Amino acid sequence: MAQFKDLDPVLHSQLRLALISLLIGVETAEFTYLQEKTGATAGNLSIQITKLKEAGYIEVTKKFRNNYPLTICRITPQGRQKFTEYVKALKEYLNPDQNHKS
Amino acid sequence: MENEEKLLTGEESLKIITDMINKTKVNISQGSFHLLFWGWLIFFCSLGEYDFASPWLVWLLVIPGVFVSLIYGFVKGRKEVVFTYATSIYIWTWMAFLFASIVLFIVVWENMQFVAPLILTLAAMASFISGIIIKFRPLIIGAITFWIFALVAHFAGPSIAPLAVPAAMLTGYLMPGYILKYRKNHGTI
Repeated sequence: MAQFKDLDPVLHSQLRLALISLLIGVETAEFTYLQEKTGATAGNLSIQITKLKEAGYIEVTKKFRNNYPLTICRITPQGRQKFTEYVKALKEYLNPDQNHKS
Repeated sequence: MENEEKLLTGEESLKIITDMINKTKVNISQGSFHLLFWGWLIFFCSLGEYDFASPWLVWLLVIPGVFVSLIYGFVKGRKEVVFTYATSIYIWTWMAFLFASIVLFIVVWENMQFVAPLILTLAAMASFISGIIIKFRPLIIGAITFWIFALVAHFAGPSIAPLAVPAAMLTGYLMPGYILKYRKNHGTI
Protein backbone atom coordinates (compact mmCIF):
# COMPACT_ATOMS: atom_id res chain seq x y z
CA MET A 1 0.00 0.00 0.00
CA ALA A 2 1.30 3.43 -0.95
CA GLN A 3 1.85 5.70 2.00
CA PHE A 4 0.72 9.32 2.26
CA LYS A 5 4.33 10.47 2.19
CA ASP A 6 4.53 9.19 -1.40
CA LEU A 7 2.26 12.00 -2.52
CA ASP A 8 4.14 14.95 -4.04
CA PRO A 9 4.44 17.57 -1.25
CA VAL A 10 4.30 20.40 -3.78
CA LEU A 11 0.86 19.25 -4.92
CA HIS A 12 -0.38 17.83 -1.64
CA SER A 13 -1.64 21.18 -0.44
CA GLN A 14 -5.20 22.40 -0.73
CA LEU A 15 -4.68 25.53 -2.82
CA ARG A 16 -1.76 24.31 -4.95
CA LEU A 17 -3.68 21.14 -5.84
CA ALA A 18 -6.73 23.24 -6.74
CA LEU A 19 -4.60 25.49 -8.96
CA ILE A 20 -3.00 22.60 -10.84
CA SER A 21 -6.39 20.88 -11.19
CA LEU A 22 -7.77 24.05 -12.79
CA LEU A 23 -4.76 24.60 -15.03
CA ILE A 24 -4.73 20.98 -16.27
CA GLY A 25 -8.00 21.66 -18.10
CA VAL A 26 -7.15 24.98 -19.72
CA GLU A 27 -4.47 26.39 -21.99
CA THR A 28 -4.04 29.58 -20.00
CA ALA A 29 -5.80 31.24 -17.09
CA GLU A 30 -5.54 34.72 -15.62
CA PHE A 31 -4.93 35.38 -11.93
CA THR A 32 -8.47 36.77 -11.51
CA TYR A 33 -9.99 33.59 -12.93
CA LEU A 34 -7.93 31.41 -10.58
CA GLN A 35 -8.89 33.61 -7.64
CA GLU A 36 -12.59 33.42 -8.52
CA LYS A 37 -12.58 29.64 -8.92
CA THR A 38 -10.52 28.84 -5.83
CA GLY A 39 -11.99 31.54 -3.59
CA ALA A 40 -8.49 32.28 -2.23
CA THR A 41 -7.20 35.69 -1.19
CA ALA A 42 -4.90 37.48 -3.63
CA GLY A 43 -1.95 37.26 -1.24
CA ASN A 44 -2.30 33.55 -0.57
CA LEU A 45 -2.86 32.80 -4.23
CA SER A 46 0.20 34.78 -5.19
CA ILE A 47 2.37 32.83 -2.70
CA GLN A 48 1.14 29.45 -3.96
CA ILE A 49 1.57 30.45 -7.63
CA THR A 50 5.16 31.42 -6.85
CA LYS A 51 5.78 28.03 -5.18
CA LEU A 52 4.39 26.17 -8.19
CA LYS A 53 6.44 28.34 -10.52
CA GLU A 54 9.66 27.76 -8.53
CA ALA A 55 9.00 24.00 -8.64
CA GLY A 56 8.70 24.27 -12.44
CA TYR A 57 5.08 23.09 -12.46
CA ILE A 58 3.64 26.24 -14.03
CA GLU A 59 4.79 29.15 -16.21
CA VAL A 60 3.79 32.66 -15.26
CA THR A 61 3.63 35.48 -17.80
CA LYS A 62 3.15 39.11 -16.82
CA LYS A 63 1.40 41.40 -19.31
CA PHE A 64 -0.46 44.68 -19.40
CA ARG A 65 -4.00 45.25 -20.72
CA ASN A 66 -5.29 48.82 -20.78
CA ASN A 67 -2.52 49.77 -18.33
CA TYR A 68 -3.61 47.10 -15.84
CA PRO A 69 -1.15 44.32 -15.01
CA LEU A 70 -2.17 40.78 -15.93
CA THR A 71 -0.75 37.55 -14.55
CA ILE A 72 -1.30 34.62 -16.88
CA CYS A 73 -0.59 31.04 -15.74
CA ARG A 74 -0.02 27.93 -17.81
CA ILE A 75 0.83 24.39 -16.68
CA THR A 76 4.22 23.07 -17.88
CA PRO A 77 4.88 19.54 -19.23
CA GLN A 78 6.63 18.83 -15.91
CA GLY A 79 3.57 20.04 -13.99
CA ARG A 80 1.31 17.85 -16.13
CA GLN A 81 3.59 14.84 -15.48
CA LYS A 82 3.68 15.49 -11.72
CA PHE A 83 -0.10 15.86 -11.60
CA THR A 84 -0.52 12.52 -13.42
CA GLU A 85 1.87 10.85 -10.95
CA TYR A 86 0.01 12.48 -8.03
CA VAL A 87 -3.37 11.19 -9.25
CA LYS A 88 -1.87 7.71 -9.77
CA ALA A 89 -0.39 7.70 -6.26
CA LEU A 90 -3.68 8.97 -4.84
CA LYS A 91 -5.56 6.20 -6.62
CA GLU A 92 -3.20 3.59 -5.18
CA TYR A 93 -3.61 5.11 -1.72
CA LEU A 94 -7.41 5.15 -1.93
CA ASN A 95 -7.78 1.71 -3.53
CA PRO A 96 -4.78 -0.33 -2.33
CA ASP A 97 -6.46 -3.75 -2.76
CA GLN A 98 -7.72 -3.00 -6.25
CA ASN A 99 -4.30 -1.83 -7.40
CA HIS A 100 -2.56 -4.87 -5.97
CA LYS A 101 -4.94 -7.16 -7.86
CA SER A 102 -4.42 -5.43 -11.22
CA MET B 1 -8.99 28.12 0.70
CA GLU B 2 -7.00 29.91 3.34
CA ASN B 3 -5.16 27.16 5.17
CA GLU B 4 -2.91 26.20 2.30
CA GLU B 5 -0.60 23.95 4.32
CA LYS B 6 -3.41 21.93 5.90
CA LEU B 7 -2.68 18.20 5.61
CA LEU B 8 -5.16 16.72 3.17
CA THR B 9 -6.73 13.30 3.35
CA GLY B 10 -6.90 11.24 0.15
CA GLU B 11 -10.64 11.84 -0.12
CA GLU B 12 -10.17 15.60 0.27
CA SER B 13 -7.53 15.62 -2.47
CA LEU B 14 -9.82 13.72 -4.80
CA LYS B 15 -12.69 16.11 -4.06
CA ILE B 16 -10.53 19.17 -4.81
CA ILE B 17 -9.39 17.69 -8.13
CA THR B 18 -12.95 16.77 -9.15
CA ASP B 19 -14.42 20.12 -8.09
CA MET B 20 -11.79 22.17 -9.90
CA ILE B 21 -11.88 20.15 -13.13
CA ASN B 22 -15.68 20.54 -13.18
CA LYS B 23 -15.25 24.32 -12.95
CA THR B 24 -13.28 24.58 -16.19
CA LYS B 25 -16.15 24.66 -18.65
CA VAL B 26 -15.80 25.76 -22.26
CA ASN B 27 -16.33 29.48 -22.69
CA ILE B 28 -19.06 30.18 -25.25
CA SER B 29 -19.56 33.87 -24.60
CA GLN B 30 -18.98 34.73 -28.27
CA GLY B 31 -20.95 31.84 -29.74
CA SER B 32 -24.31 33.50 -30.25
CA PHE B 33 -22.83 36.61 -31.92
CA HIS B 34 -21.22 34.61 -34.73
CA LEU B 35 -24.26 32.38 -35.25
CA LEU B 36 -26.64 35.36 -35.44
CA PHE B 37 -24.29 37.52 -37.52
CA TRP B 38 -23.69 34.81 -40.14
CA GLY B 39 -27.25 33.55 -39.97
CA TRP B 40 -28.71 36.95 -40.89
CA LEU B 41 -25.94 37.84 -43.38
CA ILE B 42 -26.30 34.63 -45.39
CA PHE B 43 -30.09 34.73 -45.04
CA PHE B 44 -30.28 38.18 -46.67
CA CYS B 45 -27.58 37.40 -49.24
CA SER B 46 -29.42 34.27 -50.37
CA LEU B 47 -32.76 36.09 -50.63
CA GLY B 48 -31.05 39.16 -52.09
CA GLU B 49 -29.96 37.10 -55.10
CA TYR B 50 -33.44 37.61 -56.56
CA ASP B 51 -33.09 41.40 -56.71
CA PHE B 52 -29.83 41.63 -58.65
CA ALA B 53 -29.01 41.37 -62.32
CA SER B 54 -25.79 39.63 -61.28
CA PRO B 55 -26.94 37.47 -58.35
CA TRP B 56 -23.43 36.56 -57.20
CA LEU B 57 -22.65 40.25 -56.49
CA VAL B 58 -24.61 40.17 -53.24
CA TRP B 59 -22.31 37.42 -51.96
CA LEU B 60 -19.40 39.87 -51.95
CA LEU B 61 -20.84 41.00 -48.59
CA VAL B 62 -19.37 37.79 -47.20
CA ILE B 63 -15.83 39.23 -47.54
CA PRO B 64 -16.32 42.15 -45.10
CA GLY B 65 -18.36 39.72 -43.01
CA VAL B 66 -15.28 37.53 -42.53
CA PHE B 67 -13.30 40.55 -41.32
CA VAL B 68 -16.07 41.64 -38.93
CA SER B 69 -16.18 38.14 -37.46
CA LEU B 70 -12.40 37.85 -37.15
CA ILE B 71 -11.99 41.31 -35.57
CA TYR B 72 -14.87 40.74 -33.16
CA GLY B 73 -13.44 37.34 -32.18
CA PHE B 74 -9.93 38.76 -31.71
CA VAL B 75 -11.05 41.77 -29.63
CA LYS B 76 -13.36 39.68 -27.43
CA GLY B 77 -10.82 36.87 -27.17
CA ARG B 78 -8.20 39.22 -25.75
CA LYS B 79 -10.54 40.02 -22.87
CA GLU B 80 -11.12 36.39 -21.89
CA VAL B 81 -9.68 35.50 -18.49
CA VAL B 82 -9.34 31.83 -19.35
CA PHE B 83 -8.66 29.91 -22.53
CA THR B 84 -9.71 26.26 -22.43
CA TYR B 85 -8.65 23.50 -24.84
CA ALA B 86 -12.30 23.13 -25.86
CA THR B 87 -12.46 26.85 -26.72
CA SER B 88 -9.33 26.41 -28.81
CA ILE B 89 -10.84 23.45 -30.71
CA TYR B 90 -14.07 25.43 -31.19
CA ILE B 91 -12.21 28.40 -32.72
CA TRP B 92 -9.98 26.29 -34.96
CA THR B 93 -12.92 24.22 -36.20
CA TRP B 94 -14.46 27.43 -37.58
CA MET B 95 -11.11 28.65 -38.92
CA ALA B 96 -10.77 25.29 -40.72
CA PHE B 97 -14.27 25.88 -42.15
CA LEU B 98 -13.15 29.31 -43.37
CA PHE B 99 -9.99 27.90 -45.04
CA ALA B 100 -11.95 25.01 -46.61
CA SER B 101 -14.60 27.45 -47.91
CA ILE B 102 -11.95 29.64 -49.58
CA VAL B 103 -10.46 26.59 -51.32
CA LEU B 104 -13.94 25.42 -52.29
CA PHE B 105 -14.85 28.78 -53.87
CA ILE B 106 -11.64 28.73 -55.90
CA VAL B 107 -12.26 25.15 -57.07
CA VAL B 108 -15.93 25.65 -58.08
CA TRP B 109 -15.51 29.22 -59.37
CA GLU B 110 -16.71 28.25 -62.87
CA ASN B 111 -19.62 26.16 -61.54
CA MET B 112 -21.07 28.27 -58.75
CA GLN B 113 -24.43 26.47 -58.94
CA PHE B 114 -22.80 23.60 -57.02
CA VAL B 115 -21.44 25.75 -54.21
CA ALA B 116 -24.53 25.91 -51.94
CA PRO B 117 -24.79 22.19 -51.06
CA LEU B 118 -21.03 21.94 -50.61
CA ILE B 119 -20.80 24.97 -48.30
CA LEU B 120 -23.81 23.76 -46.31
CA THR B 121 -22.13 20.36 -45.90
CA LEU B 122 -18.93 21.97 -44.61
CA ALA B 123 -20.83 24.36 -42.32
CA ALA B 124 -22.82 21.42 -40.96
CA MET B 125 -19.61 19.65 -39.98
CA ALA B 126 -18.29 22.73 -38.14
CA SER B 127 -21.67 23.27 -36.42
CA PHE B 128 -21.95 19.61 -35.46
CA ILE B 129 -18.48 19.55 -33.87
CA SER B 130 -19.16 22.91 -32.12
CA GLY B 131 -22.45 21.59 -30.76
CA ILE B 132 -20.70 18.51 -29.37
CA ILE B 133 -17.91 20.62 -27.80
CA ILE B 134 -20.25 23.00 -26.00
CA LYS B 135 -22.85 20.26 -25.35
CA PHE B 136 -25.55 22.32 -27.06
CA ARG B 137 -28.18 20.18 -28.75
CA PRO B 138 -29.89 22.92 -30.89
CA LEU B 139 -26.60 23.44 -32.73
CA ILE B 140 -26.24 19.70 -33.34
CA ILE B 141 -29.81 19.48 -34.65
CA GLY B 142 -29.17 22.61 -36.75
CA ALA B 143 -26.15 20.89 -38.28
CA ILE B 144 -28.29 17.89 -39.23
CA THR B 145 -30.79 20.23 -40.92
CA PHE B 146 -27.86 21.73 -42.88
CA TRP B 147 -27.10 18.29 -44.31
CA ILE B 148 -30.76 17.80 -45.19
CA PHE B 149 -30.96 21.22 -46.88
CA ALA B 150 -27.70 20.47 -48.72
CA LEU B 151 -29.47 17.50 -50.33
CA VAL B 152 -32.52 19.70 -51.04
CA ALA B 153 -30.29 22.36 -52.64
CA HIS B 154 -28.75 19.69 -54.88
CA PHE B 155 -31.75 17.55 -55.84
CA ALA B 156 -34.80 19.83 -55.65
CA GLY B 157 -35.98 21.62 -58.73
CA PRO B 158 -34.89 25.16 -59.60
CA SER B 159 -38.00 26.66 -57.99
CA ILE B 160 -37.32 25.11 -54.56
CA ALA B 161 -33.53 24.70 -54.39
CA PRO B 162 -32.70 28.44 -53.94
CA LEU B 163 -34.82 28.50 -50.79
CA ALA B 164 -32.72 25.76 -49.18
CA VAL B 165 -29.97 28.17 -48.04
CA PRO B 166 -32.21 30.74 -46.27
CA ALA B 167 -34.21 27.90 -44.72
CA ALA B 168 -30.97 26.29 -43.52
CA MET B 169 -29.89 29.60 -41.96
CA LEU B 170 -33.11 29.72 -39.94
CA THR B 171 -32.73 26.21 -38.56
CA GLY B 172 -28.94 25.90 -38.42
CA TYR B 173 -27.70 29.31 -37.27
CA LEU B 174 -30.51 31.65 -36.23
CA MET B 175 -32.60 29.35 -34.03
CA PRO B 176 -29.58 27.89 -32.19
CA GLY B 177 -28.09 31.42 -31.99
CA TYR B 178 -31.17 32.90 -30.30
CA ILE B 179 -31.55 29.90 -27.96
CA LEU B 180 -27.87 30.17 -27.02
CA LYS B 181 -28.21 33.92 -26.42
CA TYR B 182 -31.32 33.39 -24.29
CA ARG B 183 -29.72 30.64 -22.21
CA LYS B 184 -26.54 32.63 -21.73
CA ASN B 185 -28.48 35.71 -20.61
CA HIS B 186 -30.43 33.56 -18.16
CA GLY B 187 -27.36 31.63 -16.99
CA THR B 188 -28.79 28.27 -18.00
CA ILE B 189 -25.86 27.05 -20.10
